[in-house]
Amino acid sequence: MSILDEIAQGVIEGEATKVADLTKKALDTGVPPLDIINNGLVLGMGKVGEMFKTGEMFLPEVIFSGDALYAGVGLVKPLLTDGSMPSKGTAVIGTIKGDLHDIGKNLVGMMLESSGFTVVNLGADVSPESFVQAAKDNNADIIGCSAMLTTTMILMPDVIKLLESEGLRNKVKVMIGGAPLSPEYAAKIGADSYAPDSTTAVEVANELV
Amino acid sequence: MKSGYVANRSTRFSVLSDDQCREIVSASKEILERTGVKIFYQEAVEILRKAGCSVDGEQVRIPSRLVDQALRMVPKRVTLCNSRTGERVMHLEGYNAYFGTGSDTPFYIDPYTGERRPSSTQSVGNNCRVIDALPNLDFVMSLGISQDVPQPVYDRYQYEAMVLNTSKPIVVTANDAQGFADIIEMAEIVAGGPEKLRRNPLIVLYAEPISPLQHSMESITKLMMAANKEVPVVYTPCVMAGATVPATMAGTLACGLAESLSGLVLHQLTKEGAPFIMGGVFTIMDMQSTIFSYGAPEFHLLEAALADIAHYLNLPMFGTCGCSDSKVVDEQAGIEAAMSILLMAQAGPNLNHDVGYIEYGSTASLEMLVICDEIIGMARRIVRGIEVNPETLAVDVIDQVGPGGHFLKTAHTRKFFKTETWYPTLIDRKIYANWKSDGSKTLTQRANEKVISILESYQPEQLSPDVKQKLRAVVERAASKCQK
Repeated sequence: MSILDEIAQGVIEGEATKVADLTKKALDTGVPPLDIINNGLVLGMGKVGEMFKTGEMFLPEVIFSGDALYAGVGLVKPLLTDGSMPSKGTAVIGTIKGDLHDIGKNLVGMMLESSGFTVVNLGADVSPESFVQAAKDNNADIIGCSAMLTTTMILMPDVIKLLESEGLRNKVKVMIGGAPLSPEYAAKIGADSYAPDSTTAVEVANELV
Repeated sequence: MKSGYVANRSTRFSVLSDDQCREIVSASKEILERTGVKIFYQEAVEILRKAGCSVDGEQVRIPSRLVDQALRMVPKRVTLCNSRTGERVMHLEGYNAYFGTGSDTPFYIDPYTGERRPSSTQSVGNNCRVIDALPNLDFVMSLGISQDVPQPVYDRYQYEAMVLNTSKPIVVTANDAQGFADIIEMAEIVAGGPEKLRRNPLIVLYAEPISPLQHSMESITKLMMAANKEVPVVYTPCVMAGATVPATMAGTLACGLAESLSGLVLHQLTKEGAPFIMGGVFTIMDMQSTIFSYGAPEFHLLEAALADIAHYLNLPMFGTCGCSDSKVVDEQAGIEAAMSILLMAQAGPNLNHDVGYIEYGSTASLEMLVICDEIIGMARRIVRGIEVNPETLAVDVIDQVGPGGHFLKTAHTRKFFKTETWYPTLIDRKIYANWKSDGSKTLTQRANEKVISILESYQPEQLSPDVKQKLRAVVERAASKCQK
């Protein structure tokens, strides 16, 4: 097994310390940093995503794999010249105002991070104004908006309207999710996409950027 | 410092108090002393007469002291083994609950066409292969009759089809005592000799009296054959409340138990200390359709009550669950299977059979079987109960995460989520969109796919060619005698 395979395997096993050690070893022996990321760390995480989808891996294991991924990425990143660190894009996520349910939204955040997005997690009870302000501040590509309640999801159109009035609608894609939501509701309020779960959220985000 | 702390290691379902068990056992002894049983086999009647029974033609009245004596002599535990490795895999004692199929259904549902067809040697072999593949099934009964072979010796073909396709312990039925003798010979070949079979039993013989209170020549000779060979035997009255026993639950238990205990007395008089498993398929006759119901709530209640009595008497017990009166695998089948499996898992009869029966025991369904395998997994999780200790209470972890945090990233979750939680293989928990994109399948459709996949990909551990050849020779010897 090559060292890159071992790194990928460490990510699959969710062994952060092992991945960090292997990454150091790979750097010391002259493996190019981008190679370590693309053919070791990210490759392993890609397999994790597949295995989660087929039911071979479970959520806490995926999260530990994400930690292992970042244990390696953290070591490689400083060695890359600015801009060469691959990021798929920036997503600003939050649970809409009036709603404190945030476990699902947090999952989406963790899965997006694991798959290579930069995630700005605004937490719960987030006003439409805060969503849009954070999108501006972080030069975001995506706003991910979550709601658990039919009484709070009705604020989601305000996020889109505000983006439009600020002239950002063409730049920032909006994806929504949460128990009472549906693709139909997304279409109705003019959101770009709907994801029923965190795995699909990653697929949807990949399509949006 | 804890003091006088009591913990439940599992959940338990109990119907009768010890006092009620004692009262029912006492009624059974009274039935045996006062009314007695009919025994249609002279040699057995003589054994009982010599032991002190009062004999009036075929009717034998059994004094209570003989019942007490038999209960003292009989082993309190029976162990069964894997036929390939000899590993002691089932310990029939206490509340240990194992699950397996039922035996001789005339029909089976063809998983490829959905047709209800007469069962055959091939269907028996296929069924055993599926049972062998399922993790929550511990033992095997044939789940069909070999109807495509000479019927007087069907039992040898049937055992051969079973043992070729599974290494799990097998409960066998037979036409008669000679059938059992041949099957025991075959089991000895598999085990590697008579002494090895006696030490590590791979088979259990099955026989039943005829209710109310009659022991036919076939059942008695089978029972005595098992005793003499010291092969474990299930002796199981199949009684119908309101028809072959009284309509009351207590009367059903007392009368059915009297049949079991009279069988036990004769069994122990035949060979002291031979292994015996108390049976009892106690249910109602449905007074509208006249069927022997496999799904009535009274059935599960009676089986659980009989388990209480078995525990009271300290006898291994043969229970029943995972079966249905429904003609197809539908909501009714699921309800009846789930209720009976959970109750048996919690009441703790040891050898729970008939998993996979539909149509009140007339038809075998592999879809029903794989669904029940899943239900047994769920039931076993419930039986495992809740472990309470400082680590599982997780107060430190709760403090660390705090209000509004989440537990997904904690090492505590990583350590416990899999062992504390049961995960399905057939039950669907997908989100709606994924369920839809995977074909919007019902449980029965998914069960059928699982059956087909096992049939097409799973291979049981093989017996050696030499063993196979010797087994075949016994079958052919019986077949040639039968033709003469």
